[in-house]
Amino acid sequence: MSDMNQQMTARYKNNFLKEIEQQAEMGEWVKMCMQCGVCSGSCPTNFHPGWQHPPQEIFMLIRAGKRDEVLDSPSMWMCTSCYNCYVRCPRKLPITHIMHGIAEYAYRMGRAPKGQPTLHLSKTFWNNCTKTGRTNEVQLTQTLYFKDGIVSGIKKALAMQDVAIGLVKAGRLNIMEALGGGHKCKGAKGIHAMLAKARELENQRKGRAA
Amino acid sequence: MTSVVATNQTILVVGGGIAGMTAALEAAETGKEVVLVEKNPYLGGRTVQLYRYFPKMCHPACGLEINLRRLKANPRIQVLTMAEVTGIAGDKGNYSVTVKLAPRFVNESCTACGECNKAASTEILDAFNYNLGKVKAAYLPSDMAYPQRYVIDPSVVGSAEGQAIKAACKYGAVDLDMKEEVVTLNAGAIVWATGWQPYDAEKITPYRYGEFKNVITNVEFERLADPHGPTGGKLLRPSDGKEAKNVAFIQCAGSRDENHLRHCSRFCCMASLKQTRYVQEAFGDAGKSTVYYIDIRAIDRFEDFYQEVKANPNVAFVKSKVARISEDKNGDPRLWGVNTEGYIRYSEPYDLVVLAVGMEPSVKNVAIPAEVLGDSSGFVMADPANAGIFGAGCATNALDVNRAVQSATAAALRAVQVVNQVARAEA
Amino acid sequence: MAEMKTAAYICKGCELGVRLDAAALVKAATKDGKMNLVREHDFLCSADGVALINNDIANEGVTHVALCACSRRAKTEAFNFPTVAISRGNLREGVIWIRPDSDEARETTQEMAEDYVRMACAEVKAMKVPEGNPNTGTSKTLLVVGGGMSGMTAALEGAKTGYKVVLVEKTGALGGMAAKLWKRIPNREPFKAPMDNGVADLVAQIDADANIKVYLNAVVAKTAGAPGRFKVDIAVESGPTVTEDIGAIIQATGFTTYDMAKLPNLGAGQANVVDQLGLEALARAANGGPIKRADGKEVKSVVFVQCAGQRDATKTHLEYCSGHCCATSVKQAMYFKDANPDVDTVVLYTDLRMPGNNEDFYRAAQNKGVIFSKGAVANVSASGDGCTVKFKDLILNEETSADADLVVLATGMVPTTGPDLDQLNEANRAAEGGDAAAKEQVIQMMSKSVLNLDYRQGPDVPQFKHGFNDSHFICFPYETRRTAIYAAGPVRRPMDIAQAQEDATGAAMKAIQAMENAGLGRAAHPRSGDLSFPTARLEGCTQCKRCTVECPFGAIDEDEKRFPLFNESRCRRCGTCMGACPVRVISFENYSVNTVGAQIKAVDIPDEFSEKPRVLILACENDAYPALDMAGMNRNAYDPFVRVIPVRCLGSVNTIWITDALNSGYDGVMLMGCKHGEQYQCHFVKGSELGRYRMSKIYDTLKGMNLEEDRLMDLEVAITDIETLPKKINDYAARIVEMGPSPFKGL
Repeated sequence: MSDMNQQMTARYKNNFLKEIEQQAEMGEWVKMCMQCGVCSGSCPTNFHPGWQHPPQEIFMLIRAGKRDEVLDSPSMWMCTSCYNCYVRCPRKLPITHIMHGIAEYAYRMGRAPKGQPTLHLSKTFWNNCTKTGRTNEVQLTQTLYFKDGIVSGIKKALAMQDVAIGLVKAGRLNIMEALGGGHKCKGAKGIHAMLAKARELENQRKGRAA
Repeated sequence: MTSVVATNQTILVVGGGIAGMTAALEAAETGKEVVLVEKNPYLGGRTVQLYRYFPKMCHPACGLEINLRRLKANPRIQVLTMAEVTGIAGDKGNYSVTVKLAPRFVNESCTACGECNKAASTEILDAFNYNLGKVKAAYLPSDMAYPQRYVIDPSVVGSAEGQAIKAACKYGAVDLDMKEEVVTLNAGAIVWATGWQPYDAEKITPYRYGEFKNVITNVEFERLADPHGPTGGKLLRPSDGKEAKNVAFIQCAGSRDENHLRHCSRFCCMASLKQTRYVQEAFGDAGKSTVYYIDIRAIDRFEDFYQEVKANPNVAFVKSKVARISEDKNGDPRLWGVNTEGYIRYSEPYDLVVLAVGMEPSVKNVAIPAEVLGDSSGFVMADPANAGIFGAGCATNALDVNRAVQSATAAALRAVQVVNQVARAEA
Repeated sequence: MAEMKTAAYICKGCELGVRLDAAALVKAATKDGKMNLVREHDFLCSADGVALINNDIANEGVTHVALCACSRRAKTEAFNFPTVAISRGNLREGVIWIRPDSDEARETTQEMAEDYVRMACAEVKAMKVPEGNPNTGTSKTLLVVGGGMSGMTAALEGAKTGYKVVLVEKTGALGGMAAKLWKRIPNREPFKAPMDNGVADLVAQIDADANIKVYLNAVVAKTAGAPGRFKVDIAVESGPTVTEDIGAIIQATGFTTYDMAKLPNLGAGQANVVDQLGLEALARAANGGPIKRADGKEVKSVVFVQCAGQRDATKTHLEYCSGHCCATSVKQAMYFKDANPDVDTVVLYTDLRMPGNNEDFYRAAQNKGVIFSKGAVANVSASGDGCTVKFKDLILNEETSADADLVVLATGMVPTTGPDLDQLNEANRAAEGGDAAAKEQVIQMMSKSVLNLDYRQGPDVPQFKHGFNDSHFICFPYETRRTAIYAAGPVRRPMDIAQAQEDATGAAMKAIQAMENAGLGRAAHPRSGDLSFPTARLEGCTQCKRCTVECPFGAIDEDEKRFPLFNESRCRRCGTCMGACPVRVISFENYSVNTVGAQIKAVDIPDEFSEKPRVLILACENDAYPALDMAGMNRNAYDPFVRVIPVRCLGSVNTIWITDALNSGYDGVMLMGCKHGEQYQCHFVKGSELGRYRMSKIYDTLKGMNLEEDRLMDLEVAITDIETLPKKINDYAARIVEMGPSPFKGL
């Protein structure tokens, strides 16, 4: 994979666009954007800092061959999957999916920004839930809250305690999960085998080495 | 009973807008017999609902007057208004067409004196003004209406008011017993010129048309600008009658959008550029316009007009498809989005927002014979193998007035070719 | 011809009988109007009323009818008596609807009505029923100049309609620009790939059509005559000149591409920079395979620069957009992608203009991997083995560049319209003054003529804007200023092939119609079907040439003795010649100095002590008169002292009407005509402008008569001035009252 990171890109040439088409989920849609910007304006996070490049601009950067700017960008990680852009896009680009596709590719390239909260959540969630086949919500929350240290973690936990109590009362949160208890999946092995097979198929489809 | 004289050498023109009128006139002035069928009670179609044309800023009524004079002087054209084609049978050179005529409740004796209008009290929505105002139930659709005959709305037929209206007419022109009629007529060739309808803006949900009063469509804005429209030509916004001095125009409202209209409607860029002139003319330097666009399609010499508008410091252009509209407490619609030229976020309030809605062909939902092809947007497609039915004007494509007339002139020739063949065969 | 018998009909319907004293109107028609027969009717447009008139025509021998009822624009189906001369006294929209129904208004309203009755009687007595132009032409052969896509289409469509066609092509083969294209932009579903240029098919159809006679390597050396009887000399290279009898002409002479040598900053002159036509040549050479440059190298990357030398706000290059070039570049980018998907294709545009279903074509190109970038190109320079295009990426908001093996410039269309007549006239004047350079210039310009019209006003159709032969009318796109000569295709307006073919079909319609009407002695648009035509009493003519110079349609030539020579079937019946004639020898059977003059004289002019001024309004019948009518329909009142006479065009207004009116005691004259100047609204193009120019000269006359300038008022009126016009009339009437009565009153 590292050779991909050495890839030369030239301005306004097809090679980076093609790389994205081949490597990123839904990347084949990038070329269809007509730069209307409705996606950028529709994004609920648009008026918050962090969106260095909105979706339509990412697409233009890809077409302009700006590989580093795209892969290093924190922008794709800002997506909250609200699907506003997706439903409004006049060219029917599945923008939400494209953003995730590019983000995932950047991660695979080792280019994802360090300490990015969305990335952190995704990874944590994935590991948490694939481990037993079910999400351990208490552990998941703990890992997230204490990502930036103990003090900050306690603060966050205190701030959210009303919610937590409410969830426990409603039977939606099992406090035992903190001790490794809670609900589990019976055939965790089967789940792991399925996931491995899925990855294999995915790699085959994309023509990647396993 | 309505009687129509038609043979297999008659050309039937369906639609009495500017394309249909043109096709009818060009054929008739070449010596052909024509029957012109129009759904509305008057001729002229959507063009007469426009205040001005781009790029000349001239008035559609001016050309309509000439066309009506041509029509009045030409004995070869029979006009059926309030009429719709409901079926076409037969083949090229010998069609049999059924036409449904809705009752006008006013016959040819009408002198347009207006006494019936005085006798009426019920008010109905004024379709001519896109329902922005009201008219009495006995009305002349517009000053330029042809036939120059009043129309009585069915809602008052059978009421005491209807009787009063009838009694007010000294000329026996009000006939409340008029019934819907179906006539069948012969035709050698058919020109399909049923025009277009503005795309239903309510379907573009983020723009909240129909919910926010100060979000209107381009065709409605024409009526606001027209001195004979519901506001007497004053650019007043619907919610509170405040002068709309700061107006945003949203291009491609429905057009170039696979969720709505796939095609580019072509006329809307120029229409909005023209409408920025209305704002300028109404308020001078106090009138501000902002055009939100994807591409400004001011094609061929229309570019001159675009350059002029662009040079106006009171008109701004933002390359952006507006994402959504919200409403401020004072009723100002607020546009949200991103200017894609350099990624600049905006959240701007305006007095009024005009949606440049696109053209949807009226052929949709109409039973035209199967051999007439439609394209992916529903427009009648030119088909060299087609028998004797030809599209004209906006039924065939998203066209501006000038191009619709051009298209109709071409369609007239195609129809003439068919009836000439019939004539030669029978000679 | 039957003896003249006049009849006036006074309608009492629509409150006319209530608001007006009908007996007095009858008296006015009888005593002042001196009509042979005067009748009143309660409802003249009813079947009964119409039957009454028809009976009088059939059994009483009535030949001239004054209908004193509603406006000439109303009830036209009922009042349709084609065999007799008709005038309309507008008592409804012109009198009772614009006057309040009050006791104090009654007297002046009645006076107004009586005047209109007198005027209608006077007018109809001065009219004749037009018999049609006797100099009709019988040729029904269509001449098409130019054998490109537009010309071939026009020829085929004409032949398909049953007419003979002569097709003249300058080069040795049909096909024009389209033949140079590898493929064309699709004109039907699925709008996804370039399609065959279609030339071979059209050429084969033309070859197979016995009704089409083709002259190749041929040009039009001379066009003389008029619609229906043109004599066209066709000069064939290395052969004798042939003369064809022609009924109507379609000019489909197409375009040339804008000279890219004028664009050095965009790389003109560099080996690896071509224009779109240059790329077509490369694509044709490649024949579907990889496209190679002139040096034989396969093109692996290409950049298209849109709007090259177009949409130029600095006016150095073309100011307009040529319309087709965005779609053409999309098509050409597909040439590359279809041959080899790995070729890098970039289209740099500022506004991508793909109207209608071309939007699908745009999508298809994107789908094939063509990169579109909103970019403003600064320059193209040679670099390495190819070029570097420097531009500002407007989306990424940065100055950048792209390298390419080949750069394609989307330059625009320059129409082949022949010399600009204004410039030619100027050069001619200088040449006549002895300027040798100007003489050379005239020869040079004349060598570029397309039609070589043997017309007094010059060899080609007057151009509209940017050198194109387009019409200025939105509603009437085919109108040119030379009757029965129509422009089709890119010579009329920038357009692509699909539009050009549609355009050519429409032009064929207009040309066929013009031939048919010329054969019947009828006018062409906008007075289509009008059978009247101008005649001149040449014994009174002073050979001042005003009519020949002013005719907006170039209808009048000069004969050997320098008298005006009317080519009636070129005439549009606007009456500009009549208005121009200082000795008033030009007239139409139903519209003359006399028909209007008699109406002016028929108005009763009260004496200076009556405090009843009289203002004459001469209103253009196309816009101003309908506006006045609609003011009436809306009951927008105006001054009772005005008397309105409709005129065909302001251009037809002869100054004698104004001086006569003022001499006979009118206190003021208002002229109402259409907008003139660059954005003119005049349906006769120059009529309102010429009329106004003429009126500007009248102020000297006013001075000579010791009259105030304000006695004459020139008003530009649009058909929609329904509310403002009455106000302007009232303001003017007030101004007249302020000035006091004309000193000529009662003289």
